[in-house]
Amino acid sequence: MLSFIHAFSQERNLSGKVYDENNEPMPGASVIIKGTTQGTVTNIDGEFRIVLSSDQTTIVVSYIGYKSKEIEVGTQSQIDVRLELDQETLDEVIVVGYGTQEKSDLTGVVTSVDSKNFNAGAITSPDNLIAGKVAGVQITPSSGEPGGQVSVRIRGGTSITASNEPLFVIDGVPIDNSAHNPGGFSRGRNPLNFLNPDDIENITVLKDASAAAIYGARGANGVIIINTKKGDGSGKITYNGYVSMANLATDHDMLSADAFRNVVTAKQPNKLNLLGNNNTDWYDQILQTGIGHNHYLSFSGGGKNSNFRFSLGHQDIEGIVQKSRTQRTSLSTNFSKSFFDDRLNINANIKAAYTKDKFDANPIGAALAFDPTQKIFDSENNALGGYFEYPISILAPDNPVSLNDQTQDVGDNIRNIGNIQLEYKLPYIEGLSAKANLGYDMTFGERKRFKPNTLRNQATSDSGEVKIENYKRINPLFNFYFNYKRDLPSINSNLDVTAGYEYQDFKSDYPSYRAYGLSTNAFGFYSAFSARNSEAFNTNEENRLISFFGRVNYSLHDKYLLTFTLRRDGSSRFGENNRWGLFPSVAIGWRLIEEDFMSFLQPTFSDLKLRFAYGVTGSQEIGNYLYLSTYEAGQSTAAIQQGNQFINTLRPNGYDANIKWEETNSLNIGLDFALLDGKLGGSLEYYQKNTKDLLFEVGVASGSNLSNRVVTNIGEMQNSGVELALDAFVIDQKDLSWNLGFNASYNKNEIKALDQSNEPDFEGYLAGGIAGGTGNNVQILRVGESVNTFYVYEHIVDPATGNPVSDNVDFNGDGIIDQADMYRDTNGDGGVNSEDRRPYKNANPDVILGLTSSLTYKDFDLNLTLRSNIGNYVYNNIASDNGYYNKLANGEGYINNIHESVLESGYQSAQFFSDYYVENASFLRMDNITLGYRVRQLSNIDLRVYATMQNLFVLTNYTGMDPEVGYTNRNSDAIGGLGIDDKPYPKARTILFGVNLSF
Amino acid sequence: MKTRIIYFSLIFLMSLGACTDLDVEPNDLVTADAVLTDVNAYQSFLAKLYAGFSVSGQQGPAGNADIKGYDEGSYQYLRLYWKLQELSTEEAIVAWADGNLPKINTQEWTDDNEFVAGLFDRLFYQISLANEFLRESTSAKLSSKGFSEGEISAVAQFRAEARFIRALVYWHAIDLYANVPFATEEDALGAEAPSQATRQEVFNYIDSELQAIESQLAEPKSVGYYGRADKGALWALQAKLYLNSEVYTGVSRYTECITACNKIINSSAYQLTANYQNNFQADNHNSPEMIFAATFDGQNTQTYGGTTFIIHASVGGSMSPENYGINSGWGGLRVRRELVNLFDDPSGLTDSRALFFTEGQSLNISDVSSFTDGYACVKFTNITSDGNPGSDAVFTDTDFPIFRLADVYLMYAEAVLRGGAGGDQATALSYINSLRQRAYGNNSGEIALGDMSLDFILDERARELYWEGHRRTDLVRFEKFTTGATWQWKGGVEGGMTTESFRDVYPIPSGQLIANPKLTQNTGY
Repeated sequence: MLSFIHAFSQERNLSGKVYDENNEPMPGASVIIKGTTQGTVTNIDGEFRIVLSSDQTTIVVSYIGYKSKEIEVGTQSQIDVRLELDQETLDEVIVVGYGTQEKSDLTGVVTSVDSKNFNAGAITSPDNLIAGKVAGVQITPSSGEPGGQVSVRIRGGTSITASNEPLFVIDGVPIDNSAHNPGGFSRGRNPLNFLNPDDIENITVLKDASAAAIYGARGANGVIIINTKKGDGSGKITYNGYVSMANLATDHDMLSADAFRNVVTAKQPNKLNLLGNNNTDWYDQILQTGIGHNHYLSFSGGGKNSNFRFSLGHQDIEGIVQKSRTQRTSLSTNFSKSFFDDRLNINANIKAAYTKDKFDANPIGAALAFDPTQKIFDSENNALGGYFEYPISILAPDNPVSLNDQTQDVGDNIRNIGNIQLEYKLPYIEGLSAKANLGYDMTFGERKRFKPNTLRNQATSDSGEVKIENYKRINPLFNFYFNYKRDLPSINSNLDVTAGYEYQDFKSDYPSYRAYGLSTNAFGFYSAFSARNSEAFNTNEENRLISFFGRVNYSLHDKYLLTFTLRRDGSSRFGENNRWGLFPSVAIGWRLIEEDFMSFLQPTFSDLKLRFAYGVTGSQEIGNYLYLSTYEAGQSTAAIQQGNQFINTLRPNGYDANIKWEETNSLNIGLDFALLDGKLGGSLEYYQKNTKDLLFEVGVASGSNLSNRVVTNIGEMQNSGVELALDAFVIDQKDLSWNLGFNASYNKNEIKALDQSNEPDFEGYLAGGIAGGTGNNVQILRVGESVNTFYVYEHIVDPATGNPVSDNVDFNGDGIIDQADMYRDTNGDGGVNSEDRRPYKNANPDVILGLTSSLTYKDFDLNLTLRSNIGNYVYNNIASDNGYYNKLANGEGYINNIHESVLESGYQSAQFFSDYYVENASFLRMDNITLGYRVRQLSNIDLRVYATMQNLFVLTNYTGMDPEVGYTNRNSDAIGGLGIDDKPYPKARTILFGVNLSF
Repeated sequence: MKTRIIYFSLIFLMSLGACTDLDVEPNDLVTADAVLTDVNAYQSFLAKLYAGFSVSGQQGPAGNADIKGYDEGSYQYLRLYWKLQELSTEEAIVAWADGNLPKINTQEWTDDNEFVAGLFDRLFYQISLANEFLRESTSAKLSSKGFSEGEISAVAQFRAEARFIRALVYWHAIDLYANVPFATEEDALGAEAPSQATRQEVFNYIDSELQAIESQLAEPKSVGYYGRADKGALWALQAKLYLNSEVYTGVSRYTECITACNKIINSSAYQLTANYQNNFQADNHNSPEMIFAATFDGQNTQTYGGTTFIIHASVGGSMSPENYGINSGWGGLRVRRELVNLFDDPSGLTDSRALFFTEGQSLNISDVSSFTDGYACVKFTNITSDGNPGSDAVFTDTDFPIFRLADVYLMYAEAVLRGGAGGDQATALSYINSLRQRAYGNNSGEIALGDMSLDFILDERARELYWEGHRRTDLVRFEKFTTGATWQWKGGVEGGMTTESFRDVYPIPSGQLIANPKLTQNTGY
């Protein structure tokens, strides 16, 4: 017990214990002497001790979500208090932008997930904690990499090119959540990895415009507010720890060595001499069992007017591809104190983390394609590290094991977010307070890679390379606002008004160098001194956002609720004429259950609320300076001879001077309900979001701009959908309780207009770049279709075999073997050419389902999360890029492995645009299941042990490795499209054992 | 007191809030007004136009590409131009199955062929850059920036060179794609999709541009002008344009072709280099017959296209890369037997232009993807005329001749044979025999007037100019590209077959038909 009170004369002690509705002790409850600000909070056992002066006889006991209780203690020195749930407000105070609101007063669509409902498992970044938990929120990892990037879509994407990621706000600081993806390296990791999931108290999702409009130009994709745990004065120490083990979940579909030999014998007999005598599963050779462990220690305490919390975490997770690993050491502190009779409150937070990432050399593509009959090592090949390699005089793939073993690629990152929030209740005007928030978000990092000259690809080009990119991001934040909150009993109203200003600047520097032509490998990353050549760069980015915002909440008779918000944002990313945007919203709520005429529902229903909201939000997540005509200097290695000298070049970049915000108008109609004493509660929503001025990097008409692709505003898009969320206490008994959470959402995306759509011949813009050839796209943006719609030929199926017609058959019997034998003439013009490709299915799921079950029986608990996407299609790019016989001999002096789909399709040459590769990838995944046991025998110590399985199973008809394919393409810079399965980092199945301990 | 402190703090905080400055300008990029402030900046901008033929972006060899959506190294201007001009003919074939590249070998391309699209994007990238240069360098603009008269006239010469580059690229455009989008500096940037102009209209435009800038370009072979366009380059382009006029416009202009050839020859600025192979080596910038070249340099002009591509890709099989000044072969390019058979003796002992590598290579190509099927070609190397390797074993020093004197001789002879005035057959024969004398090392290769037929000229063009990016244009002019001739793997069959005549031009890429609804596809596609 850490709180203590100085003794004065004429004082007496009062001690006691606070219980909840189930007669369990309540730690963290506040006990205040009425009429003063003196008080304490209960400890872990629910106990408190307080000193009263002789004239103080009443205490107030309160806890968020419970009805406050005033107790006349008289002269008692020992008292027990039982608090009851505040059913009327359904407990929650929800953090919305720039303030809080009681859940019952909400008019917008806001869902909060509490830490106890988070996903279990070896989770590195906070966004994964709520996968499957919130209706309409789709969380897709880009790969199975530990700490890999994740995409979050709230109610479908509103944009095509600009980021569709929601705004993240951590303890009141909106952060820059763009990943660091330095050029020439594989992609960086999730920028949220710095935040330890164990530090998070709850995650709140603002889904509709009414809720998100307060964030204006950054609200179109929704807002995710993360609040970290705060000191509760309990003096509690907790420890959480686990160890985990991850293995490949699903194996690849390339040919085995034996099958490969048979195929080469049949198809390329003259190349049999290129085969080796081994049976090597290259894919297996680059994998490992990923071991992980996590430790977390926190400590919380406080005094009379202050609270603090301190935590330290360490996580170390290995990926299932050798070399990949992420380590994090995190520290979080929170301190709050009140001054001047509680008029001034100060709350300070610092979260800092050091993450150390190791990257594999991205050997996945090479491991899939490398000849499985070759050996791994060749002890005589000293020049290339003792690995088997093809002669360097030919253009051949690198041994994936050598590539991965010999390349060193690491990233270090220190991120630090801190802020001080001051709240001052102004005198003279009751209910008026001023709040200021001063904060910063700083990241310092480094990505570095060493390639020794014993790598095959170095032997043929740079003969050893060190490449380092540092980065520094500094984002100061300042906001200031007034809040006026007043009950107006004379007119049965409550009023809550907020108005303020915000300034945020995002500045980053990326100095980097590359040194190559190393004369020694001995110094690893520190070999630059031995380099024959080097080059250095320093790039710099900055943007600024300045905003004014206001909100009015008004409620009448606690029945009629009105919210009005307005934000004016100015962004440096746009030209003078398009710089400022205005983002209003209005919402009304009607608590039907309070109406007399609804009283007949009363015994069954405890809540019924109808909501309507309309608002405008924006998106500005595009690159900087796109409106400016800029010039870029060329390097000295890209200079050109003019006479007897080499002149460095100057290049004008493509741009659109009139580029402007994407603007989303959204409408939401919702119904909240609770019945059976709150045992079943939920909400039903209908929404429609119309986005105009869509930004997209389009292939421009040749001759009209300074690049073949330019980011510009091109059209309009609509998302509409329905969401249902249900929470049920199925069983609620002393020894047995079962809680089910279910959510379902349906979203339909449609492109409504594109700028050229008034031209009758305009087909749409190509998108969805694939691996295979170059510049090939398999998706289209077309009016009337969804984004990520595939654009492919209809492959004719041979009824005799049930397989698609192969490319070496004169199927239509016209004497010529051409595309017309394979593909349907969909436009009926008598021939088959690119105009016969047609929109076919799309990569977005129609329906997303999530089910969370928590079962507790005595000291056992069983929790699981099931997640399902229905109606999402995936282009199997691994099959299309490897599943044809010509791939075997796509080069001289070596031979490639090919994909087993060729045994069915029989393709001789690549058929990238065939719908054969577009597959239904609907799935049901057991994301995680946890069995826990609470050890009660230990007094004063709360110990729980548990075991978790992540990704236990996936049910799907998709023939590739995993049906859930991320948005980002790790392997190429092509315009990535959702639903293109191209050599991703494979998904793991993880088992984990852990303990939670507190005392 | 407390209250006053608080209020003071509030006022302080609100004063911070007064900041509404949103002018954030980049530091590592510069705006046009900030950078185009002196002649040197304009020269760097002009250098970008020249570099557009040689490198793929602002970082050598790759890393900051000019055009997006492609594999940068494969989509360098000259590499793409070379593929479409050579792989589609009997002069070359490539083993690689990169996407739809094999369809170029066999003349089976469609309008979604990425190489067809890539060159189209490259051409119009060059044209757009030239247009922007001309918009940014008007004398009115320069005056308003305070440029002196002397500076303005220096930039005026740059303008003429920019117009030459644009004319050259428009010639490539109509030659390959016939009816193309048309934009000049008069069209505002990013405003509207350009309209499609006919081959005739663009031809006329090129013609008028070349006449307009002729007097402003430097004299042929002016000192300090290597790599830049001078009058010699302009006349060579005129000769090309007029020689092919009948293909482009239906009207022959052989007399004008001869006039242009005569200007080059009579300027006496150019002579045949004694050793044929010196035109294709690491120090070929010294060749006295070079009229205009895309320049490369192992240290300063690095790319995976250009001669780096040609030289690496043509080495494989049992060849030793170091013999050609490079560290590795990419095992891709060979010649077809129909080219080899044009030489009396493929060993090179008789006609030194037969630069083939035959050891372990078969003449016949039964498997396109096998490097050893078909003779390898060692015409281009990264070795200097005195036998030393170039400055880098990956990136070659060898420049690529766009126009050289031998081509002018052959154009002259052809134009005379086709009835142009201003020249005569005897002179034509002497030009042809000067090439053959060099090739044979003596006069045993010389021909008589009676041998100098048009068919002979076409074959001689192959023998002299193979792999220099002329073949498709030549075959089209002789009506032998599609219908009139066959060679191995033409049409996708081993023995070769004729193809339909619509393939004399490439299709407008399907992506462009989408991006620009004003475009109409070429007939047949």
